[in-house]
Amino acid sequence: MSPWEALALLLLLFSGVLVVTLKNAIHAALALIGNFLILAGLYVALEARFLGFIQIIVYAGAIVVLFLFVIMLLYAAQGEVGFDPLVRSRPLALLLSVGVALVLLSGLWGLNLAFTKDLQGGLPQALGPLLYGDWLLVLLAVGFLLMAATVVAVALVQPPRPLDALSPEERKEEKEVVR
Amino acid sequence: MSYLLASALLFALGVYGVLTRRTAILVFLSIELMLNAANLSLVGFARAYGLEGQVAALMVIAIAAAEVAVGLGLIVAIFRQRESTAVDDLSELRG
Repeated sequence: MSPWEALALLLLLFSGVLVVTLKNAIHAALALIGNFLILAGLYVALEARFLGFIQIIVYAGAIVVLFLFVIMLLYAAQGEVGFDPLVRSRPLALLLSVGVALVLLSGLWGLNLAFTKDLQGGLPQALGPLLYGDWLLVLLAVGFLLMAATVVAVALVQPPRPLDALSPEERKEEKEVVR
Repeated sequence: MSYLLASALLFALGVYGVLTRRTAILVFLSIELMLNAANLSLVGFARAYGLEGQVAALMVIAIAAAEVAVGLGLIVAIFRQRESTAVDDLSELRG
């Protein structure tokens, strides 16, 4: 393992720890962006260049920004809210996640893999024939899923009636709820 | 190989986040972390088994985008009803 590799993996795990421990939701989302950028670098190093750039554009650029937008929209930056119904459940959660890690690591332990496949740098020229060949049905299904998700996202946040169809008192109430 | 081990640890971190966080948005962030750990292991295995792993990771990214759109829409809708995104406040599912 080269020192750069070790540094990248350390940074990856450190930013992951920040994501799950930081109290402020905005800071956690920013740590997640850092995590994704490091991950994109790792993808490029692992001969998945197209995926690395998609990771930056879609994940760091679109998904996390959507998260930040919703956090700021709902004034939900404070991470510790509400009551804690299970007091001191944190050590239990730690134990459980360590258990998950051990199960996954034990699965990987005896594996004897030869990382010698020629991936052609993971460029679109190499991925395209697969995407539009063997994976065509999957691609179409994912496209349909994205369309359904768009419709659902619009339908979910629709008010029960459009705002201009409400009577003045109702409109006042609606505004109070939405802030 | 070290990438695969790191992806396992990253997944466990996501599990810890899901178990300890109390706002729906932060639970969501931890789920994203787990999805990315799975992606990293797909890309790592692609070096041993061929490009299909990378195509699968691409699909996971697209599905994650759809999931975020629906999930954040749900969170916004719930916040409008309840003025709260704490998952403990939502333990009884009545309108």
